[in-house]
Amino acid sequence: MPIILARIDDRFIHGQVTVGWSRQLRPDRIILADNAIAADTWQSRVYASSVPPEIQVSIESVARAAADLLNTATLDERVLLLTGGVGEMNELVHMGAPIAKVNVGGLHFSAGKKEMLPFVFVDAADLKALLRLLDAGLELSAQQVPGGREYLLDRERLLAMEAAL
Amino acid sequence: MIRALVMTHGEIGAQLVRVVEMIMGPIAGLTALSNGNKAATELQDDVKAWLDKSEDDAGEIILIDDYGGSCASAAVIACGEVENRTIIAGVNLAMLLGYVTWRDSEDQAELAAKVLNKGREAITIVGGR
Repeated sequence: MPIILARIDDRFIHGQVTVGWSRQLRPDRIILADNAIAADTWQSRVYASSVPPEIQVSIESVARAAADLLNTATLDERVLLLTGGVGEMNELVHMGAPIAKVNVGGLHFSAGKKEMLPFVFVDAADLKALLRLLDAGLELSAQQVPGGREYLLDRERLLAMEAAL
Repeated sequence: MIRALVMTHGEIGAQLVRVVEMIMGPIAGLTALSNGNKAATELQDDVKAWLDKSEDDAGEIILIDDYGGSCASAAVIACGEVENRTIIAGVNLAMLLGYVTWRDSEDQAELAAKVLNKGREAITIVGGR
């Protein structure tokens, strides 16, 4: 499955994804890789129902999503991949999912997190996980919506943020 | 009292509540909630906190701006399948004025139905060709 966007977004499936990015990128399928939501039928149904009918949707555990992304039977399907946090994206990468670039689309404020960008709040664990993505050879940037400003998240920026925590 | 939460992107909800109160005076039980800068779980927690403030079992109506976004998902997940709670998408001013007008004389289900109907009626072509 070619991944046309791999996005970290703690709002999961919402307008920026289903309207913003999907209009621009025209994915065939949205895969949300999240163990808690995948295990909860009610939440899965709510998020699945937010996806426009022309786009397929899979809400799966991280391990299942990694396997699906490696399935060569669906090579022609263009996928928009979503995780709610950096940790899940890291797991997918280390399970071999073919991800080259990661879009940090939204990590909102919660207790203990500090602002790196107006829509990206991080703690030490987030930064460590982002650095691991760079170590794995991935390109990282932060961008909320198509046409919005894209901020390159390079090692220098992440280390500077780590020092400022 | 049947309470209402106007839950929207940005400040749409706060401004709608402000305008309702400009027209009808202060309204207890009518609250705005923005999705601004909140993760899905935090938004769900905000809705649950508002639900928990109920002082009776009259019920609630949550009015969101658009179906399929973070507000809708958080409202549906936070409410669960509970009696006397209705979530309606497509909030407009007419719906809120209707809510304030009818909330003391109707039960929750009837009020939700009337508010929904009012919102639909309010969307109409009023001029031009």
